Amino acid sequence: MTERRIAVVSAGLGRPSSTRLLADRLSAATTAELAARELSSSVETFELRDIAHDIVNAMLTGFPAGQLRETLAEITGADGLIAVSPLFTTSYSGLFKSFVDILEQDSLNGVPVLLGATGGTPRHSLALEYAMRPLFTYLHADVVPTSVFAATDDWSGNGDQVNPLPKRIQRAGGEFADRITQRVGAHPTDPFQDVPSFEQMLRDT
Amino acid sequence: MSDILVLSGSPSTKSRTEAVLGELSQRLREHGHRVVEAPIRRLPANALVAADSADGEVRALIEAVSHAEGILVASPIYKASYTGLLKSFLDLLPQHGLTGKTVLPLATGGTPAHVLAIDYAFRPMLHSLGAEHVVPGYFLLDRLIEVSEDGVRIDAEAEQALMSVVDYFASALHRRARYAEAS
Ligand SMILES: Cc1cc2nc3c(=O)[nH]c(=O)nc-3n(C[C@H](O)[C@H](O)[C@H](O)COP(=O)(O)O)c2cc1C
Repeated sequence: MTERRIAVVSAGLGRPSSTRLLADRLSAATTAELAARELSSSVETFELRDIAHDIVNAMLTGFPAGQLRETLAEITGADGLIAVSPLFTTSYSGLFKSFVDILEQDSLNGVPVLLGATGGTPRHSLALEYAMRPLFTYLHADVVPTSVFAATDDWSGNGDQVNPLPKRIQRAGGEFADRITQRVGAHPTDPFQDVPSFEQMLRDT
Repeated sequence: MSDILVLSGSPSTKSRTEAVLGELSQRLREHGHRVVEAPIRRLPANALVAADSADGEVRALIEAVSHAEGILVASPIYKASYTGLLKSFLDLLPQHGLTGKTVLPLATGGTPAHVLAIDYAFRPMLHSLGAEHVVPGYFLLDRLIEVSEDGVRIDAEAEQALMSVVDYFASALHRRARYAEAS
């Protein structure tokens, strides 16, 4: 059984960063949900602020140099991507968008993606659907239906009581794990593994 | 007469967006406004990504925004939206940093499929910054722009439509100035 590789991109600026916190919760939920499906997984998390200068250089020159190229390959080559941004002016941050801007057009084609965003007020939850999701739709990524917004009050347990943050995270993790599990062609597989037996072929005709 | 700041979000040194903005700034000056052009790519990149609003040049542009009555916000369309470069600068403005201002959104892009980015991406962001009046914007197809040593040429039909949007912006600023004087 091959291990599934999850890449996590967090665009938080603060230290500690609630964006990073949400990213960690989402990846933990994903790992747990994959384990429940009997799949092992590894998680690698990238803080965009650590590679911000390289991202800007790539933006200005039009191509990613050296180390950044490798980092981008690791991110887009994973079996699934978790992308989390803080919301500024009801949209993704400039750094997050700069990262998306330097991705190759077809680099996330069919890749399962789980989206998250953090913000002060739950009134901005829909920014995920109206601002962030369209970027990944454009990239033809396979974005799971549930994306997770965490407002300040969610962290203290004073947020949405009907559908609290841990429940939203778990649901998103479950959907994401399903997509990762079902994804075809993600891994080089044994070409003979899926060939039906003679017995089966006779039965099917 | 009003002060207009023209922001460009293209990271490109051969930006077609910027070339067009040169023409538009001229037009706005003919309407009697004071115009300053500010390509965001000229800001020190490191300060921008570090969200360092203490940097002198970044500080100066933030102040220019706060003093202007009109802001022209232009960006090429990248991945169906404004660029990360434009957003990086706007993220540095104070909350409601466009309060009381008249704003004209403009985009250039490679496909007409993304015309609605003006209304679905630019407009909500500008409103959330508190812009008082976001006038009708314009999406200009990149292949209708020709930049050469003699300057920039825009397809005649597109240019007419673009100029009418710019003229409306100019007159909205005049109306606003008269209103401010009267009250
Ligand atoms: C990284 C990148 C992404 C782009 N994405 C889009 C897009 O999603 N939609 C579109 O209409 N044009 C897209 N384009 C084309 C540019 O928007 C268009 O050529 C624009 O006029 C460039 O403006 P500039 O010369 O001022 O930078 C993209 C160009 C680049 C370099």
